[in-house]
Amino acid sequence: MVKTKSKIEEEIQAIFNSDKPWVTIVWDDPVNLMTYVTYVFMELFGYSKERATELMLKVHNEGKAIVSTGSREEMEHDVARLHEFGLWATLQRGDQAL
Amino acid sequence: MSEQSGFTRHGENAFVAQFSESESEVLINLAGQIIELLSERADHGDEDPLAAMVGITSHDSPPDDEVLLRLLPNAYADGVDAAEFRRYTESVLRNKKKAHAMSMRVLLKSASDGGIELDHENANAWLGAINDIRLALGVRLKVEERSHDELELLAPDDPLRGVYAVYSWLGWLQESLLQALMDDSANEVN
Repeated sequence: MVKTKSKIEEEIQAIFNSDKPWVTIVWDDPVNLMTYVTYVFMELFGYSKERATELMLKVHNEGKAIVSTGSREEMEHDVARLHEFGLWATLQRGDQAL
Repeated sequence: MSEQSGFTRHGENAFVAQFSESESEVLINLAGQIIELLSERADHGDEDPLAAMVGITSHDSPPDDEVLLRLLPNAYADGVDAAEFRRYTESVLRNKKKAHAMSMRVLLKSASDGGIELDHENANAWLGAINDIRLALGVRLKVEERSHDELELLAPDDPLRGVYAVYSWLGWLQESLLQALMDDSANEVN
C-alpha cells in the first residue's frame, strides 16, 4: 500500500531531519505591496528574484509561506529583521502544524 | 499631488526624486507621527535603567494601540514565548523603525528645493518608513475589512477619503522606488 504524504508534511519532515527544526513564516497582509515583499526577501535573505517572487506568490495565494529554516536563534534574528521592514512574520518549531 | 514622477535611478547607486512642497510636508508630517507613536512608552511602571540601556524592557505585553500592534507584532503564536521575545527585542525594533522615519524626515527637511537623492542604504530606510506609514494608515482605513472598490468609492465628505488618497500615493511612491532598485538587482543577477 502506497502511503501518500502531503507536500507540506514532507517539507516539515525534511526540515526536522536536517537538524534545523525551526522555521520563519511570513503571513499575507493586505497592505504590503507584492513588489515590496519580493524585494525584502531578496535583501534580507539574498534570494534570487525568481525564488523571492515564488515565495511572495506563495504568501499571497496560500496566506503564508516558510521563508527560512534554521536554529531558533537564527529564526528569531530573521523574524526581527522582517518586523523591521513591516512584514508580518512569526517563528515556530518545524514539526508544529502551520 | 500633481506632476507625479516618483523615483528614478541615476547611475550605480543613486535614486532620485523631486517632491513638491506639499508632498514634502505630507511626508515630513507622517514620518513625525510615526516617530512620535513609536516613542510612546508602552509601560507606565519603573524601568530598570541598566536593563533599558541594553534594550531590555520590563513590559512584555503586546501594545493596546491597534497601529502600534501592527508595527510591533508578536513573533510567536504562543503568548509566553511572544512575551519573552518582546521583552528583549521591542525597544530595538522601535529604534530601528524610528531611525527609518528619521532618515526620511531629515533628508526632506534639508532639501530646500524638494530634490532627494538616496543611496541604496537610505533607499532601504525610506522603503521601511513608507511601509510603516502605509501600515499605520491601513489600520485606520480598515483595509483588512474593506475591499479596494469600497475604498475607491468613499464619499467626498468622508474624512477617510483623504487618508486613502495619501495611502494610495505612498503605495505608488514606494513602487517607483522599488522599480528603480530592482532594475539594479536584475542587472546584477544576469
